[in-house]
Amino acid sequence: MKLHQVVLKDVVRRKKRVLYATVGVVIASMTVVGILTIALAGRARIYSQLEKYGANLSLLPATKSLDTGLGDLTLGSVTVGENYIQEDKLPQIRQITDGEIRRALKVEDAGDIATIAPQLLVQADVKSASVILAGIDPVAESKIKSWWQVAKGKYLDGPDQALVGSTAAELLNMSVGDAFEVKGQNLTVVGVLGETGSGDDYRIFVPLKAVQTAFDKQGLLSTVDIRALCNACPVEIIADAINKEIPGIRAVAVKQVAATEMGMLDKINKLMMALGGITLLVGGFGVVNTLMTSVHERIRDIGIMKAVGASRRQIIVAFIYEAILIGIIGGVLGYGAGTLLAYIIGPLIFEGSTVSFVAVYLPISIALAVVIAVVATLYPAYHATKIRIADCFRAV
Amino acid sequence: MLEIKEVSKVYGQGEGSVVALDNVSFDVDKGEYVALMGHSGSGKSTLLNIIGGLDRLSVGSIVLDGQRLDNLDESELVRIRRDKISYVFQQYHLLPSLSALENVLLPLTFRGVDRNGRAMELLEKMGLGKRATHRPSQLSGGEQQRVAIARALVNDPLLTLADEPTGNMDQKTGSEILDLFDQLNAEGRTIIMVTHNPDAAKRAHKVIVLRDGRVVDCIVN
Repeated sequence: MKLHQVVLKDVVRRKKRVLYATVGVVIASMTVVGILTIALAGRARIYSQLEKYGANLSLLPATKSLDTGLGDLTLGSVTVGENYIQEDKLPQIRQITDGEIRRALKVEDAGDIATIAPQLLVQADVKSASVILAGIDPVAESKIKSWWQVAKGKYLDGPDQALVGSTAAELLNMSVGDAFEVKGQNLTVVGVLGETGSGDDYRIFVPLKAVQTAFDKQGLLSTVDIRALCNACPVEIIADAINKEIPGIRAVAVKQVAATEMGMLDKINKLMMALGGITLLVGGFGVVNTLMTSVHERIRDIGIMKAVGASRRQIIVAFIYEAILIGIIGGVLGYGAGTLLAYIIGPLIFEGSTVSFVAVYLPISIALAVVIAVVATLYPAYHATKIRIADCFRAV
Repeated sequence: MLEIKEVSKVYGQGEGSVVALDNVSFDVDKGEYVALMGHSGSGKSTLLNIIGGLDRLSVGSIVLDGQRLDNLDESELVRIRRDKISYVFQQYHLLPSLSALENVLLPLTFRGVDRNGRAMELLEKMGLGKRATHRPSQLSGGEQQRVAIARALVNDPLLTLADEPTGNMDQKTGSEILDLFDQLNAEGRTIIMVTHNPDAAKRAHKVIVLRDGRVVDCIVN
């Protein structure tokens, strides 16, 4: 018979007591698992929002005058007037962007990597109202704005076509099939966009060439949106390189804007971890307390073990075995409870986030719970070895 | 084999101190069966605990088999409890979560040896072969005490100490337990037994009577 078998039999006999002792450990690991799971869900939510923002990089002429935005983010201003990005800079922009991504991800792919979507914004009178006409590369634009949905009609697939934002269609009373004229150029509405909740709702989208021709702005662009293919892409480095190498262009990394949100998440994480730390401490004290009580309850058994030849080390080891068991049970229960907690609280903190089981947190939870239980056991165990055998029996 | 020289034990300090043993001296030879008698509070259990290394003396010395026990540190006392001295208690003191056999095996567990055969053999000798898997709560008082005696013998000690082993039993069961001790003594085992039982005292070779912590009589049967 081995010592761990003696401990196991004793734990089975006192199972209710042992479960009671695990409560503190469960609370501690539950808090930590809950915090980690919620934080992960929050991070995923922010990443998915980043995806939704579309562009990872926005290139603007260096001069500002008119506010514009993408999604809910304000991206600075563009000048709809004298200052433009030269269209002939696009190959250079692509070269820099793809080059940096290749370097960062160590890929050799010779093809185009990033999606580059140029836009020319002009103010135009349509049906005697002033609207912003956006000349776009239809293919690139649809890749960048993956959330766009054509509510009526179809997407742009030829010249002289127009795609109207939902609010613009309503205000100008436009529907699919309507024709209108801008600066002598005849355009036909082929589709109406679903509501996006952004500035796009107020705009009319037309193939880039049509706008450039009608407004005599050949080779000119107002903005260029760039979407790298991954969240890990070095957008800040790309922005720096473009800013340095192409004069007259200001590159803004959307991630820099999102970084504020990430920074906030990090702060929340730190706060929650601090709370988790306090909970760990309280949980630890709870375990020490329960185990101290347990020592007193088992003072006779400890006396018996010592009387028949147990050394101090063996008594401490017996307590540590029990702590490991408490830790394993507490870690598993804490993982389950923490994940449940994240399911309930996660969506309240990060609206729309999806909380999921994170399997890797199970061993973390168990390891943490075992460490707490073992540390909390050491003092009661040491205390137990100090009791004289005669006193163990006298107390009974 | 065992020399107890001028042993005193004082609990507490100053005016509130209590003298439990006062200058106690006697010897026990190998194979001898000694009964310690006296009223409650006479110091007999304290003396037994000090001999067994379960408690410390204040003054004096105890020598077992040529080795002084009173100045040993805790780890050396552990070795003595494992190899040389075993204990039988009035309350049996079995671990409730273990079976009879496992309780007998417990001293071997702490020594790091596995000798199921020896433990089973002792249980059979105690007439408990068929009760080996029973928990203490499933055994009678007499049976529990036999398990405790088997446990005390499993390490083959030099000296067995028994603290009122029949104190919790009716006369018949107590007598059966005393028969067992007689048998063990006849096999050459050295026994010191604290008892109130005059029958037990009659069976011993020597009866040491304590009063207020002092030896007041030594009767050789």
